[in-house]
Amino acid sequence: MNAITTERLRKTFGGVAAVDDLSIVIQKGKIIGIIGPNGSGKTTLTNVLTGIHRMDGGVVVVGKKERTRIKSCEVFGLGLTRTFQNVRVFEQVSVLDNVLIAITKKGVLGSLFERASAAQIQNADAVLARVGLTEKRDALAAELSYGQRKLLEIARALATDAEIILFDEPYAGLFPEMVKRVSGIMQELKAEGKTVILIEHDMALIRELCDHVLVMDAGKLLAEGTPEAVLSNPSVIEAYLGV
Amino acid sequence: MDIAAQLTVNSLIAGSLYALVAMSFNLIFGATRFFNLAHGALATVGAYGTFYVGVVLGLPLSVAVAGGVLTAALAGYALERLVFRPLRARKASNLVLLIASLGILIAVEAILAIFFTSQFKTLSVLTGAAQTIHIGSAVITHVQLTMFASAVLVCGTLWLVLSKTSFGRAIRAVSDDAEVAKIVGINTNVIIAALFVIGSAIVGLSGVLYGLDTGIEPRLGFMLLLKGVIAAIVGGIGNVYGGFLGAFLVGFAENFGIWFISGEWKEAIAFGLLVLFLVFRPQGILGKKHT
Ligand SMILES: Nc1ncnc2c1ncn2[C@@H]1O[C@H](COP(=O)(O)OP(=O)(O)OP(=O)(O)O)[C@@H](O)[C@H]1O
Ligand SMILES: [Mg+2]
Repeated sequence: MNAITTERLRKTFGGVAAVDDLSIVIQKGKIIGIIGPNGSGKTTLTNVLTGIHRMDGGVVVVGKKERTRIKSCEVFGLGLTRTFQNVRVFEQVSVLDNVLIAITKKGVLGSLFERASAAQIQNADAVLARVGLTEKRDALAAELSYGQRKLLEIARALATDAEIILFDEPYAGLFPEMVKRVSGIMQELKAEGKTVILIEHDMALIRELCDHVLVMDAGKLLAEGTPEAVLSNPSVIEAYLGV
Repeated sequence: MDIAAQLTVNSLIAGSLYALVAMSFNLIFGATRFFNLAHGALATVGAYGTFYVGVVLGLPLSVAVAGGVLTAALAGYALERLVFRPLRARKASNLVLLIASLGILIAVEAILAIFFTSQFKTLSVLTGAAQTIHIGSAVITHVQLTMFASAVLVCGTLWLVLSKTSFGRAIRAVSDDAEVAKIVGINTNVIIAALFVIGSAIVGLSGVLYGLDTGIEPRLGFMLLLKGVIAAIVGGIGNVYGGFLGAFLVGFAENFGIWFISGEWKEAIAFGLLVLFLVFRPQGILGKKHT
């Protein structure tokens, strides 16, 4: 079973293809690593898959339908969510509310007369406990440290209860004990049957967590396979060393 | 002392009117981030809506007020759907949106002048002779008291909605980062449309109340907009409660200012205050925190 498939997916910026006719398959229920040198198009791929950027060509199959356009407000409905490489939490909103947003009603009339219920708040608190932000619950997100914001973003992603979660460099800027906690979450998600897509530069983490790794270079798929196979592939080593 | 009491009442009345404009302006600005000058036109639309229902059709005051507010709300919704949303979808810059909204302001005034002439009209047929209340040595009319009550009530209701409901949380999320709000499943266009309806109803009410108090002419919205926007900036652009505070600051500065300087300068006081804030505290009284 596949969670996401792309066929000749393309995104260009002023004539330069950041994602260059990329065809990949993301298997369901696995932790899929995406690695590649800086500027190889990993974040752009994430942005196209979540409707932040409009694709310039190709097809994405997600949620049983072939799509040539993905709108970012549909992404939640597709059971897909993400975190951002350059952390994006709702700064002027409390930590708890950052998580509740993903849980509570979305329609105007439904939400206008809804106060977060005890069950919803309990759910949000459980998610905050999972990432270790319980103590910061009532602080404004703007008051959090960089690492705490990254954790809050992960919490918000967890709270959407999406089937597919894209993590764009979630470990950057985290303390070692936080790294362990996040790795634990990745494994729990997999155990729950969810699909995790992990963009990461730390090869030790890739080896530890991933079932399958895709290597991107200049917007194309350079190699794929198990972490061992991929990380010993000469062309991958070459791409990373920039020979 | 007599003068001080009356000036205080006058300040509160002016402040209330500006507060309705500033709060609704900031409510919409928070989520859309463009200077919507057409907001002023909706005050005029509200006032003329009340004139039409109450004076032309001859329906009772309460129906006329409701009719005016509803007309403004619908007009605001229409502007968002027919002009602003298509422009946003085309990634129009905020400057383009500002110019479009200026065009709408001018066009709406012109259209109202065509239908109703640009002559000053009173709505005293609806309110009857002004009934007054004495507070100590100060005098206030019923309409003016309603202005103050409306400003406080609207501010309180907005606080409840923004801070206590899921809708308010969604608004704060959209104001903060609309793109991410979409990712967590919020339909930003629907939220923004709802804000236009609510904000336009509030600014429409300001126009209706101004009309009942003073009378109407096609340019009344422009005057209200100027003061309301100054209050919005002074209080903290995009901040609803800032708009409330800024409005009363402007109201008090204008009315007490003429104690020290000649009355002809009244109009200049608000602008002086604006310049002071822009230079020394550009983020306004409350800054951008919280919608
Ligand atoms: N919004 C944008 N506008 C213009 N060019 C962009 C934009 N986003 C990405 N690019 C370009 O697209 C290419 C791919 O960038 P992208 O951020 O996807 O790489 P990445 O693999 O995520 O890199 P990193 O590992 O540094 O995060 C780069 O050349 C980048 O400069
Ligand atoms: Mg990246």
